[in-house]
Formats: sequence, structure tokens, C-alpha cells
Amino acid sequence: MAMTSNYTVLAVTLIIWVGIFVYLVMLDRKTKKLEEKK
Amino acid sequence: MILKALLFIVMTWTIIAAFVFPAPQQAIGDASRIFYFHIPQAWVAVLAYVVSMAASIRYLRKRQPVDDDRARVSAALGLLFSVLATVTGSVFAKVTWQSFWNWDPRQTSILILLLIYGAYFALRSAVSGYQRRARLAAVYAVFAFLAVPFLVFVIPRVLPSLHPSDSIIDSSGRFTMSGMTAMVFGCSLAAFTGLFVWMYTLRLRICGLERTGFEE
Amino acid sequence: MPSNSTGLADRSLAVLRKDVLCEFRTRYAINAILLFGITTLTVVSFSVGQKNLPPEVYAALYWVIIFFSAMSGLAHVFVREEESKTSTILKLTADATPVYLGKLGYNLLLLILLQIAIAPLFLTLTDAVLTDPALFIILLILGTVGLAGATTIIAAIISKASVKGALFAVLSFPILLPLLIGLISATTKAFSESGGGLGGASSELQLLVSYGVVMITASIMLFEYVWEG
Repeated sequence: MAMTSNYTVLAVTLIIWVGIFVYLVMLDRKTKKLEEKK
Repeated sequence: MILKALLFIVMTWTIIAAFVFPAPQQAIGDASRIFYFHIPQAWVAVLAYVVSMAASIRYLRKRQPVDDDRARVSAALGLLFSVLATVTGSVFAKVTWQSFWNWDPRQTSILILLLIYGAYFALRSAVSGYQRRARLAAVYAVFAFLAVPFLVFVIPRVLPSLHPSDSIIDSSGRFTMSGMTAMVFGCSLAAFTGLFVWMYTLRLRICGLERTGFEE
Repeated sequence: MPSNSTGLADRSLAVLRKDVLCEFRTRYAINAILLFGITTLTVVSFSVGQKNLPPEVYAALYWVIIFFSAMSGLAHVFVREEESKTSTILKLTADATPVYLGKLGYNLLLLILLQIAIAPLFLTLTDAVLTDPALFIILLILGTVGLAGATTIIAAIISKASVKGALFAVLSFPILLPLLIGLISATTKAFSESGGGLGGASSELQLLVSYGVVMITASIMLFEYVWEG
């Protein structure tokens, strides 16, 4: 199998996770704003 | 707020630990690390289905639109996680047993779950009329679920003729999991479940907004 | 409202009789299903007929033929009602459960006819060796019950859809997969030397029997939700 070190995979995974997390937080904030407007 | 911060910490910790700590199964080496992610994904896929089925039953009884929303949102998440679980599972299978797919009962059951989710959405898109769509989808969700336990019973029968696959991980992994492995695994399970709950409630709130109408 | 003096069996049989008579006039579904089965069987026997294949392959081929033939014909029982607009009248004159049982009986008959046609042909046209006829016949029956039991309610569901297409197969396949796996595994034993007879296939038989019971029971309970719309 490809000999990328564990740390490379770790870095990639962390980046993906942080990206997902930030997206969800932004979505959450936007939803909350719309809910408060009502 | 606190919960989300907590989720972030736990998931981040899990990811780091999964790659930095020693691999859980020394015999297979680094590939076994996927086990930290694959099993929680499969677990969430099943959890999502249970939620979806419960909401479907509720809908058939009470006919509240919100239950149909719940069923649909949960099914969408279930689809996502079962795709993830199937993919990580076959990557693991490739590395360990040199083939992406081998009809192992557990692999087959996650595939069936995936197919059921796909069929569920195919049905939803083919039926017009809001109430009819919700009703028929609910019936299908409940009915299709019955097929899954049969596969659990297929395992004891088919196993003699198949090479023992997940049994290596489950029986020896589960019960002889070292403290550290168990801890990381537990964190991962909690993190993925938390992620599901957050995505589920968030999506549901958006559906609620769409339902009552709003101006941007 | 249907009179309560006629029992469930009578009403179901009435629905069944109606469908059989309608079918007899046009013979649409039985033609579709038999044609599909025989065509597939011909193709199979043409390419595979003289070779000596392991029993699993014959078992799988047989049930593939039956499965796809079923997919081509079993939805007809409800789709025809919708297309000829008679479903509304049916809904008014009969309760859900007799309708379901009648339609189930109709699908069972279709499948039995299919098997009667295909099974002997299959055995003669391919090199499959039937070492355990009793087991095989039991499997045919259980397979018929399982297939019809699981798919009849799906047929009802898709008959209400506006875009039918391959929906019937898409919805049925995940549910039928455990049944097919069990059938093929047990049929392999019926075709092979060391099958071990009925006892050897006992776990499959348990699976198949419980599958049929569970599917039909669940269908009966869920059917009224499908039918009411």
C-alpha cells in the first residue's frame, strides 16, 4: 500500500474534519439567525 | 455551544490518537486504525435507521408532517454514513484480505442498508403528493427494516463456508481491547454519535423553517 | 360496506377469483412472466448447457431466472388496477386485508405456474444434477411463498407512484436479498452430492420459513396504510 506516513494521513484527516466542523458551525449560526428573526 | 466545543475536542482527539498511538491490531499494522472510524460509522448508519423507522411508525399513527421530516432527515444521514461505512469497510478488506468485496455477511448487511436507503429515496422521488409520499415512504422504511435481522441470522449458517473475517476483529478486538484502544474507540463512538445528533437536529431545524416559511 | 357475514377467507377468495378471471381474459401477466423465464432459461442453457459446472452456479442461475421473471410480472397485480382505474371501486367494496390476501394468492399462483414451467426445463436443459428432489421441491415452495410474500406489498406501494420504471426491482431487491442468499445456499445442497438431505439444509429452511411468515404478517399489518390513499 502507499507508504505515506501516518502523520500525512493524520494531517489530511484533521483538515477534512476541521472543514466539516466549521461548515456546520456556520450553518448553525445562520439557522439560529433566521429562527430569531421569526 | 459547550456541546459543540466538546464534540470538536473529542473528535479531534480521536483522530490524533487514532494515528499517533500504536495500531490496535499489531498483526495487521496500520490498516487496523481504520477500525476506529469504520465501526462508529456503521453504528451511526444503523442508529439513523432506527430513528428513521421510529419516526415512520409515528407518522403512520399520528400523521404529523414533522415526523416525516424526521424520517427523511435521518434517512439522508443514514445514507451518508452507510456510504462511509461501506467504503471504509472495503478499503480495510482490501488491505487485510486483498479483495474489496467478498460477500462477508457483515459487509453484505451494510450493503443492504445502503440499498434500502437508496430505494427509500428513489421511492420518495417517484411519488407525487405530499401525504401519499410520506405515507408510502414510511411503510417502506418499516417493512424494509425487517430484512436486516435475517442477515444477522444468515451469519451463523454461512460462516462455515466463508473465511472468518470480521470475527478476527470483533471477538478478539472487542474483548481483548487494551485500555487505550478501548478509550480511543469509545471516544470515536461518542464523537460520531454526537456528530450525527448535531447534523440531525440542525437539518431538522432548517426543515422546520422551510415548513413555516421565512424571508431571507 | 362489505357485509360482515362473509368471512375473511371468502372475501379474499372473491378478490382472488376476480383477479384470476381478469387475468384469464388478457393473460398479460402470465405471458410476461413465462416469456421472461423461458427466454432467460434458453439463454442460460445455450451458453452453459453442456458444461459441467459446480452446483452453486446452477443454484444461482435458477434463482436468478426466477427472480427476474418475478420482477417482470409480480407488480402487475396492482399496477393493472391503477391503470384501469378500478382501484377506487375496489377500495370502496372491500377491506384492506381481503384485498391483500387475494392479491397475494394471485402472485403465489403466478409464481407456482412459473416454477412448474421452469424447474423441469431447467433440469433437463442444464447439466444440473438433482440429488435431493424432496429438498428441491420444498425450496421451490418456500421460495414462492417468500418471493410473493415480500413483493406483493411492494407492488402495492409502487402502483401508487407516478414514475414506476425500475422502482419495483429497486425496492424489492434489498428486501429479497436474504431470501435469495438462503435459497441459493440451500439449493446448492440439493444439487450437490454431499448435501446432507433435509437435515443438512435445516438452518436455511428455518430461515426461509421464518422469512415467509414474517414478511406476510408484516405485509398484512402494513397493507392498510398503503391501500387507504
